[in-house]
Amino acid sequence: MANLFSYDFRYDDNEHETETSEAQKEVEDRIGRVYMRLVDPQTLPLGGEIDDTRHRLLRAKHEQFINDSIHGLSSVFTVLDSSRPWIPFWCLNSLDVMGSDIDDRLRRHTTDTLRRMHCPSGGFRSDPWQLPHLASSYAAVMALVVVGGEEAYSVVDRHAMYRWLMEMKQQDGSFAVHTGGEIDVRGIYCALVIASMLNIMTRELVSGCAEFIARCQTFEGGIGPYPGVEAHGGYTLCGLAALEILGCTDVLDLGRLAKWMCVRQMPFEGGFNGRTNKLVDGCYSYWVGGAFPLIQKALRRSANDDYLYERPALQRYILACCQDTRLGGLRDKPGKHPDLYHTMYCLIGLSLSQHYVGVDPAHEIADKSSVFSVPARMMQWGAVPARSKIIGARINILRPVHPVYGISFGPLAQGIKYFYSLPPLAELLV
Amino acid sequence: MGESEKHSSDKDDYVPLKEQEEWRDVTPIPQEEEPNTVCPIAYTDEYSDMMSYLRAVMAKREVSQRALDLTGRVIEVNPGHYTVWMYRKQLVEELGTDSENELDWVAEISEIHHKNYQLWHYREALISRLLDQKTAEALTQDQLVRHPVIRRELLFATNAIDGDSKNFHAWSYRQWIVRTYGIWDQELVFVDTMINEDVRNNSAWNQRYFVLMGNGSGRPEKNPDSPLEDSLVDREIAYAVEKIKLAPNNESPWSYITGLLLRHAPARLYNTLLPKLQALAAEGSGYASSITTTPMYWSALVDIYEHQAKDLPDQASVLLDMAKDACDLLAFDHDPMRGKYWEFRKSQLCAGTTG
Repeated sequence: MANLFSYDFRYDDNEHETETSEAQKEVEDRIGRVYMRLVDPQTLPLGGEIDDTRHRLLRAKHEQFINDSIHGLSSVFTVLDSSRPWIPFWCLNSLDVMGSDIDDRLRRHTTDTLRRMHCPSGGFRSDPWQLPHLASSYAAVMALVVVGGEEAYSVVDRHAMYRWLMEMKQQDGSFAVHTGGEIDVRGIYCALVIASMLNIMTRELVSGCAEFIARCQTFEGGIGPYPGVEAHGGYTLCGLAALEILGCTDVLDLGRLAKWMCVRQMPFEGGFNGRTNKLVDGCYSYWVGGAFPLIQKALRRSANDDYLYERPALQRYILACCQDTRLGGLRDKPGKHPDLYHTMYCLIGLSLSQHYVGVDPAHEIADKSSVFSVPARMMQWGAVPARSKIIGARINILRPVHPVYGISFGPLAQGIKYFYSLPPLAELLV
Repeated sequence: MGESEKHSSDKDDYVPLKEQEEWRDVTPIPQEEEPNTVCPIAYTDEYSDMMSYLRAVMAKREVSQRALDLTGRVIEVNPGHYTVWMYRKQLVEELGTDSENELDWVAEISEIHHKNYQLWHYREALISRLLDQKTAEALTQDQLVRHPVIRRELLFATNAIDGDSKNFHAWSYRQWIVRTYGIWDQELVFVDTMINEDVRNNSAWNQRYFVLMGNGSGRPEKNPDSPLEDSLVDREIAYAVEKIKLAPNNESPWSYITGLLLRHAPARLYNTLLPKLQALAAEGSGYASSITTTPMYWSALVDIYEHQAKDLPDQASVLLDMAKDACDLLAFDHDPMRGKYWEFRKSQLCAGTTG
């Protein structure tokens, strides 16, 4: 059965041109040229069908792109000097999801690098002269979990991290991303991912989080960074994933959210955009695509019903349009340069589209009120092999990842097992 | 350390700080070069040099003009350096730097770095100090809009939006100014202008909802779930329909009006909006074909009939059938990419549960 593709799906501007419609048409032209090369010529008289069997994930090229980056980055990366903890995360998680080799040497060096980025008073930052940052801390903790092993896990001082998280905590339930920094839904997501992984969740830490996120859901149905601000893919994943950790996705209007998420899939391109009337971008393969397993669970849909979006169309977009065949790495859209951020988010978005990951509704843990239910509930997530959908060769298959954490299940389980075998924080015993 | 080791940049010849008289008294703190670092960045000589001196002055908590200037140069090269922004903020406060000049400097940075987040957050902090809440509370909306500080900020945000009509930070900044200083009325005028410029600008439509309803913590006189005045609802329905007519296949006005009515005046979905949409569909061929071929029209009908069925249980069966038919039409003809969603929606209608 051919997968959905048609020139009829091109944007109809009703002959009323605006900046938005012109930009959209330009992108469609570019992507149309890519897709036309994949159309089976014999089907042209009947409208044209893409031969989706030909897509190949260019593993070796992406591995090269990543390994080159691990070795060193040019001065152009000066602008990422304050986001350095992210870079090993983008690299190692991409390698892990592709099933590429991460040897002991790389693990050791990554651990050592991240240890230098660990702030003794809590959190992670690029170097000792920068303030710890919540997003960097999230990336560093996830990178250490991907590396795995006691040496990596023990880089983090859990007590210091908890105290620092509570310093970032605001009265309205949100978190600032650094001292004096901005407050948005991203902060909540980072804090809860860190806390749920490290076994440092407390009532005080999570209080007000769900309410704040609910206030960020807009009339469109998606979630914005702050109450009132436009609904956006990145913040939608952050909000929904944070609520999944808390076990209270029901605070949202899930119907309206589902609708908004579905409309993010571009009918012609197949990939997702991040906001209404904006352009497709490969990274939303995770931020929006990755939210579908989460809303699947929130809506209590069964594995017999597929995700609410067109999986093959997304995979086609990623494989045909987002891979840089010359430089390696993945990108936003054709015409853009590949980068490590897009490489990771395209890959984990691809993984979450290839695999059906969910929680069996029959076994769902009912009591979500306790912070102690978190590890049990998070570990219930798993891939259902019979429901996987791989576009192109089966060798395109990636490791399945957890939609909340964006990392593969093996390292995730090892990490959770380790941190939850540690004694609870002294704060909890008081 | 001879002439040949000077680093040349595009603009001027860069003179290392260690060669400058002004910095003789400072011992720079270089970045530690650790072996086996993963993903090491090959910083330019200029950046390394500036940062080693900046670390030194930050370490001794120096408050001086030269430190301030240095933060400016670092930010120009790496605007994402949030720690340096914080240090600059402290310096500006302790040195008593002229706020006007500082705002000018931020504007220069925004010319080079359009998508930078930190500069907006920094600007917020400057403005909060320049025009505190207590002073503002004593002024009327009119006076506030004409206040030089506010006028300047609105212009700054407008300029950013002129360059990038959907600049996420700029629209968010406007929300901050509007709710901090309570200048709601002028924002509606701005929204109208932007929607007229590009009816598909979703940031502008989002702003419209914000102006009408506040930000969830509520405008002083509105709470998020309060019903809207009839006249306001009438006006918004008319407005949305007028914009739909311009380009029916545009998500923004549809999502705006259905979102607004679902939250605040659901009965008006079928009392007022529906007849207007049906009139458009029955009109001469121009509108009829555009509107009945756009998925958003049928999608709105699903929402409308679903709600109508809830309110009028004796007509529910007929209405739900119409809603289900619309779902089928969407799944098979008008919106097949969302086929699975329409299947789901239809099943919810059958079950009598809300979507």
